[in-house]
Amino acid sequence: MLDPVSFSEASPAPVPAQVRALQLQERACKPPPRWPRFFITLLVLALIWGVLTEFRLDAMVFGLPAVLAGAGLVFLMPATPGWRISPSGAFRFAVFFAVQSVLGAIDVAMRAFSPRLPLSPGFRHYPLSLPMGAPRIVFLNTITLLPGTLSAEVEADEVIVHMLDTQADLAASLGALEVRVADLFSLSPQSENSK
Amino acid sequence: MMLDLIAASLVVFGTVFFIAGTVGLLRFPDIYCRLHALTKADGLGLALVALGMTLKAESFGEVFRIVLIWFFVALASATCGHLIAAYARQADREGKA
Repeated sequence: MLDPVSFSEASPAPVPAQVRALQLQERACKPPPRWPRFFITLLVLALIWGVLTEFRLDAMVFGLPAVLAGAGLVFLMPATPGWRISPSGAFRFAVFFAVQSVLGAIDVAMRAFSPRLPLSPGFRHYPLSLPMGAPRIVFLNTITLLPGTLSAEVEADEVIVHMLDTQADLAASLGALEVRVADLFSLSPQSENSK
Repeated sequence: MMLDLIAASLVVFGTVFFIAGTVGLLRFPDIYCRLHALTKADGLGLALVALGMTLKAESFGEVFRIVLIWFFVALASATCGHLIAAYARQADREGKA
């Protein structure tokens, strides 16, 4: 198994991934109370449906129940902690996301078209150091867009990654993604310096 | 005219990636490799076609609709890819046990 490279470099003593995740967890903001959450969801969903259907009245037959059901679910579900998104971090994440998804698609397309079919697939483990909730979900979903990696399963605090080529440097590519996700949620100022 | 040309080439490039995804689906050896082809190549294919279509959009509402569709498809494909892979691994373990 591999060491996480991204975070341990910058801090004086290497912090175990789990402890670090707990420390970062405290950075989450408190969620808004129930009724405001309900009305915000109602408004956002109604707006999305309205734009999708050009505010046609007959489309409301489907839209109104769906919007009410969605907002109702948010009302009934336990609140998840909110995360502060850094605008400049979001921009850097978007650029990273765009470049990596283009590289990932070109890589897999070349392999698919190549007569030799250059693949040496396999699974590798990678420890999760981002906190539960939005940061971890964004991380796991974006792994699948990076060249040659696919998030296959989560076991405790590890993600099992399927790789098209197990010789590729997994720690380097996932470490870079971790830095970008932490930056997006303004989580770790010290990992900025190491980049 | 220039815009038409750019929009058309974006759609053509997008289609090339859709074809690559399909070729990968047919040629790759197992379910996990096939998921790579579908999530990555088709994802960029859709993004390029969507970008091409936004250039030809007639209203802001249309652009917003295309962006929304791209966003939900991208989110769904990454999530479904993960779920299918997790299910396949579980099935593999039960098969071996």
